[in-house]
Amino acid sequence: MSRDLLLSVDIGSTYTKGGLFSLEGETLHLIGREVVPTTVDDLGRGFSQVRAAVLSRHLNRGHNTNFRFLGAGGAPAQAIPVYWSSSARGGLKIAAVGLTPDLTLSVARMAATSAGGKVVRAYSYELTPEDLDDLRAIEPDIILFTGGTDGGNSRVVLHNAARLAGLVSPAIILYAGNRKVRDQVVDLLRGREVVTAANVMPEVGTIDTEPVRDVIRRVFLERIVDGKGLSSVVAEAGREPLPTPLAVFELVRTIAERVPGWGDFALIDMGGATTDFYSHTKSFHGGDAVILRGLLEPTLKRTVEGDLGLRVSAEALFRSEASFLEGRLREAGTDIAPLRSYVEKVSRRTDHLPADDEGRRFDRLLAAACVRAAALRHAGVLQRVFTPQGGFLVQRGKDLRQVGRIVGSGGYLAGETRPDILLEACAPGADDPDTRHLVPEAPACYADIDYLIPLLGNLAADLPGEAARAAVAGLVPLTLQTNGS
Amino acid sequence: MDSLRIVLGVIGADCHSVGNKILDAYFTEAGFHVVNLGVMVSQDEFLDAAVESNAAAILVSSLYGHGLIDCEGLRQKALERGLDKILLYVGGHLVVGKTPFAEVEKKFKAMGFDRVFSSHDDLAEAVKLLRQDIEERTR
Repeated sequence: MSRDLLLSVDIGSTYTKGGLFSLEGETLHLIGREVVPTTVDDLGRGFSQVRAAVLSRHLNRGHNTNFRFLGAGGAPAQAIPVYWSSSARGGLKIAAVGLTPDLTLSVARMAATSAGGKVVRAYSYELTPEDLDDLRAIEPDIILFTGGTDGGNSRVVLHNAARLAGLVSPAIILYAGNRKVRDQVVDLLRGREVVTAANVMPEVGTIDTEPVRDVIRRVFLERIVDGKGLSSVVAEAGREPLPTPLAVFELVRTIAERVPGWGDFALIDMGGATTDFYSHTKSFHGGDAVILRGLLEPTLKRTVEGDLGLRVSAEALFRSEASFLEGRLREAGTDIAPLRSYVEKVSRRTDHLPADDEGRRFDRLLAAACVRAAALRHAGVLQRVFTPQGGFLVQRGKDLRQVGRIVGSGGYLAGETRPDILLEACAPGADDPDTRHLVPEAPACYADIDYLIPLLGNLAADLPGEAARAAVAGLVPLTLQTNGS
Repeated sequence: MDSLRIVLGVIGADCHSVGNKILDAYFTEAGFHVVNLGVMVSQDEFLDAAVESNAAAILVSSLYGHGLIDCEGLRQKALERGLDKILLYVGGHLVVGKTPFAEVEKKFKAMGFDRVFSSHDDLAEAVKLLRQDIEERTR
């Protein structure tokens, strides 16, 4: 039975990772994993390399533990099913078009990131000829076109449809706006690649991102895989891929729903270019004197910070988090100049690994800044306001205070042995005593030490319970090494 | 034909929620599609909701006496946002003290509100006027 062994591969922008898993009853075990550099010119080559490496080095270990499937003279390795995902070649680039920045555009961004996309541009109100030039230049894979509640605004939506009809771009247009004019929009865009989904905001304040996520997933499989040079991998694997962040998103959901005690947790995936923050927790808890303003955010949420990263984005990080970095260095009695030159160096040499204490210290500091800023941006705020009827609390955004566990994943955080950096997610961040950032309060911290989250994410569609339990079992709890205090 | 959309909410730092719920129920019952933003609603939130939902009118409530300062500039902002046909209604305890209602009404009309209601007005009358005004405005 070939079901007993499973291979999972994730093609990242820098590394291609592969892991061989065994399924015994309802338990998945990692047999072994391998990493090769991603072969950007031909993604299929790296895929074949990592697959061959995993099979040649680990299949025998599997054999020793007496797998039924190898029992009868060793079935061909080719029979082992391969699940895979990719975030190579810039991932899934999405341009979001909405009506007002705080409503449909904000929901469109949420929908795009939860579908595993990266929002490369966002436009509100009427598209201008300059916006079209810009859209052409950034070459998104998908234009997520929203605006208007169902039966609501159609004037701006139809204007934008007419504009997009004149856009010279291979991008697929996904319309998920006012349902009332959907047919007119499709008609205006005749001759272009257009798909539609239910409105992301059918009523003011109601968020419905699931239909868009389903369509984006389908579009990725059917039309984008080819353009990313992944069709040779499809042929070899015999299976369609998932965008990596979507695989992770679904795994976070599955863990929260299926593993006891994990209903409220966060996952931070920090890399050289971006920091992704996933949370699964109820967004708003109400209470007598607490009023929610703005959108009610979803229980499962992903944010992607394109300016928070340790290498490619180090310069941007250095700029946006300058005051935090300076403050920490001042506490340590150091000047910022050496950090500045370190950042210049690593943003040019993105494969740099620090060889000395100073470099390692700087990487820790940059990582702390990424985690802290990503958490502050992902979390909402609670403000005390004084009204003629007394004091009230106004919440905007998502409440993460119930998050009891935080998992660090990605190249840097997976290797952490202490919780310090992940605990930066709990930084209060505000000087104003009447403003409180709704970050986690005292979470337990874990490292995804074998970087299994994306690999298990690939398996989660077919083996949800097994993948979720294996993901949690593979985490290492991080504790502060104090003297028993 | 879709039912007429109206945006409803209590403006500013005002947390009076009971009247808001009554208005929501009453106007819904009267056949309007009510986009209710609840309490403590900012001017921008009213306008965003009106733009997205293509509302015919914004109904602003204010019960705590700070209505003048909270409502100042709403008409201008609506015009800036392209809502040049939208009806603006306001009602409640609009100012503190014993200012005669006629004066209050004058002030709010000068600020660009189409109708001003005191807390004693009949809701049935408000519904009638709203229908009439929308019909005129969209003619």
